Amino acid sequence: MSVPPWLSDLFWTYQNVVVSLGVNGLLALSMYVVLAAGQLSLGQAAFMGLGAYASALLTLRLHAPFWAVLPAAMLVPVAFALLVGGPTLRLAGVYLAIATIGLGEVLRAVYLNVDALGGALGLSGIPEAAPLWLIYALLAAALLVFWRIGRSRVGRAMEAMRSDETAALAMGVNVRRYRLATLVASAALAGLAGALSAHSTDFIGPNDYGFEPAVSILSFALLGGIGSPIAPVVGAVVLTLLPELMRGFAELRLILNGVVIVLAVLFLPRGLVAWRMRRRAA
Amino acid sequence: MLPQQLVNGVLLGATYALFALGFTLMFGVLRVINLTYGFYFTAGAFVAWFVTRAGGGLWLALPAAALASGVIAVVVDALLLTRLRRARADELASLMVTLGAVLALYAALAALLGPDIRRLPPAVLGNEAISLDGVRVTQAQLLILGASVVLAGGLVWLVRFSRLGLAIRAVAENPDAAGLMGIDTARVAALVSFVSGTLAGAGGVLIGLAFNAIHPYMGEAMMLRGFVVVILGGLGDIFGALVAGLLLGVIEVLTAGYLASGLKEAVAFAILVLVLWTRPAGLFGRPVARRV
Amino acid sequence: MRRRDVTRALAALTVAAALPARAQDAPVRVGLVAILSGPNAAYGTAIRAGVELALDQVNTKGKRIALTVADSGGTKDGAINAARILIGRDKVAAIIGPTLSNEMFAMGPVTNGRGIPTIGTSTTANGITDIGPFIFRTALPEADVIPVTMKKAVSRGVKTIALMYANDDAFSKSGFEVMQSAATAAGLKILTTESFGSKDTDFSAQLTKIKALKPDAVGISALVEPVSGVLLQARQLGFGTETLFIGGNGSNSPKLGQIAGAAADGLIVGSPWFIGKPDPANQAFVAAFRAKYNRDPDQFAAQAYDTLFILAAAIAHAGNADPERIRNGLLRTDYTGVMGPFRFDAKRNPASAEGVVVLEMHGGTFRIAP
Repeated sequence: MSVPPWLSDLFWTYQNVVVSLGVNGLLALSMYVVLAAGQLSLGQAAFMGLGAYASALLTLRLHAPFWAVLPAAMLVPVAFALLVGGPTLRLAGVYLAIATIGLGEVLRAVYLNVDALGGALGLSGIPEAAPLWLIYALLAAALLVFWRIGRSRVGRAMEAMRSDETAALAMGVNVRRYRLATLVASAALAGLAGALSAHSTDFIGPNDYGFEPAVSILSFALLGGIGSPIAPVVGAVVLTLLPELMRGFAELRLILNGVVIVLAVLFLPRGLVAWRMRRRAA
Repeated sequence: MLPQQLVNGVLLGATYALFALGFTLMFGVLRVINLTYGFYFTAGAFVAWFVTRAGGGLWLALPAAALASGVIAVVVDALLLTRLRRARADELASLMVTLGAVLALYAALAALLGPDIRRLPPAVLGNEAISLDGVRVTQAQLLILGASVVLAGGLVWLVRFSRLGLAIRAVAENPDAAGLMGIDTARVAALVSFVSGTLAGAGGVLIGLAFNAIHPYMGEAMMLRGFVVVILGGLGDIFGALVAGLLLGVIEVLTAGYLASGLKEAVAFAILVLVLWTRPAGLFGRPVARRV
Repeated sequence: MRRRDVTRALAALTVAAALPARAQDAPVRVGLVAILSGPNAAYGTAIRAGVELALDQVNTKGKRIALTVADSGGTKDGAINAARILIGRDKVAAIIGPTLSNEMFAMGPVTNGRGIPTIGTSTTANGITDIGPFIFRTALPEADVIPVTMKKAVSRGVKTIALMYANDDAFSKSGFEVMQSAATAAGLKILTTESFGSKDTDFSAQLTKIKALKPDAVGISALVEPVSGVLLQARQLGFGTETLFIGGNGSNSPKLGQIAGAAADGLIVGSPWFIGKPDPANQAFVAAFRAKYNRDPDQFAAQAYDTLFILAAAIAHAGNADPERIRNGLLRTDYTGVMGPFRFDAKRNPASAEGVVVLEMHGGTFRIAP
């Protein structure tokens, strides 16, 4: 059985878009997990960068096999999250958002100034080792896990934290532990996404993980909504495809991209996917 | 070298402070990370560019730019944020809507006028430096320093001592209670947007003049520093923003001058993170951050 | 009108005559990947203008080459997606672009893997053609240009130099590394190295430090916007004519004079092309460009203009749209265009740097450095 050439051409043409859809889906989930616990963190791009750099360095310098690289790409951002998590998680709302932006910028300065990390030239020649099926299998697995958690007691605790933290505390929810746990889960997922994307595009640079990508990742989750894990993934799909569909409009596509976000927030306040998961009775 | 570096630092800090004054007011009173703020800054610079091209002097261009930016800020607030405020949407929604708006606004401006850098005509304000004992400053830089101090003072007066200021402080403290007390919160929000917008516009003109470069994305480049200054100074703290801006400028310049220029940005953000970890209400903050 | 006729005649001489008759019925499709939106759109717009002007002239006698243009937006994903669409959907036989070296590092492996000849017209960083055998560039790498500039500086009595560069983009960083080794090779003493961010507007700390060291020259590797800012502030801080400013390829843009004005006077920069080059081919190009677009061409337009002719000649040599044959055609390039005689070396970089002239900013425009 062979694939007809037009089909393989079609697939080849959009291969990078298909990879981006999967990677951005994982990033959207990494955003979802912190938002679902009521935290506005903008550190996901920084975690992604840590995963991408750690995995690329392992592959390029130590020639580590891909299956060993992936867990390391999750461990490095998790270690970073644990290191900064204590003092950072005491912050709430906009303070947390700005602290995480600051951490991202500090990391960017590290990539730029340390020559062993490639500086502004970044790291190139990363083999395309991430198979497409793996990206989607991991995305599906993450969705499934979040789905199960969302319907469990843990999910209820997180929702309580989101709507009223003081009340959640009074109800006996260990808010601190949940916050750290969601941050760790978020870091692991973003690091994984970073490694997968680094191993499908050959080249990474320090500017791929700054303020702008951080805001894009946030917009995936906000556009899709956070009522269920599937919603942010839908948001990621829409925002990844939108610029591709509007290719050829030059500046107009940047304008339309912004207008779509504005309209979605104003007229779909719960996101594109407003439907919420039902939980089991306690 | 040290006196010149300190002057460099103060002047750079004055640009940060000037940018952050309106930002901290908007941020502190309306409790929204309004990402469109950088666009008002850009818009002010471009209005001044058009006015001076048409033959107007700086003393016409500056108020025109401030006024235009103020109006844009009110319109953006009325079209986008008022709706969300009325619907009691969370801060995420407001952040998101300003993000979409600012993407569209920058791109529209770039599409309309092109991404090129423009300069104000040299006749607007001489860029020759004044040399005092070997330390050199330009008129534009002195103007920025003067403007940030005067504007900060004026703003503090407005908020502390005027009737309007009382309403503004009430809204900042608790919008619901202020509304119950008969304060027209929508009007206060519009007013705060207007004042912030005019400050941003005036800042855009003066900073565009000092660095001699006006381009559509100039406000975007200032936003990250704006965050740092607003947090260091304490959210909504006008005087704090002035001091924090100056301090940040001096620290950055001394880092670049005596440590390593590559670390300039890293130091600024490392300080931000450390301050947030240890004193989240800002360097000078009392425990409650919501002060004006 | 006369000048346009000259251009057409030249185009016909160099390319059209060599094209086989059957190429006329089926035009060969080529792609252009350039930044046409976002903050760096000015570069891509200049490149597209140069390519499209050349295309008009190549196609005067029947449509030989068809062009599809794709916007990269200046991002690596944008460049990769653009290349994949051009190759997979539009079936282009070769690609001109992308605009930035960063984009090429991401896009090059994709086009190279697919065996599509890819020619960078503005990608000057080190290591571009190491990506693979299908990656070419007509942009002179900084490594060829900067030594010429340094030689000029030495001839003016420069003995010590301070270096400044933008440390957050590949082009500027790579240009800085070249400057560093070229300065050492020319026997200059490097007094200090200072960096800044490419979006910075304040360079006062770095410049004050440099001024205290009193170097004979200051070398700057960055795009034109920050370079303009550095020069404006340097004048404010009292740098006078006793300090020679030396630019990298980013400074080689008429925008420098437009933004920095008199502050840029005296800066020298090496360039593979100069608008005032007196040879008839260049004069005809400049005239045709002004007639079509009502503005002056810059270096990016000139390099892109030559590149389309070079590609057209390679396609003529190939005789059909087979990418492998076009690649062989490119390797045999022997073309004289507005930048002078051009050939590729074994590593698919421009073979010689003899066309490099050192320019000096004077009264807001470039002239040949005295």
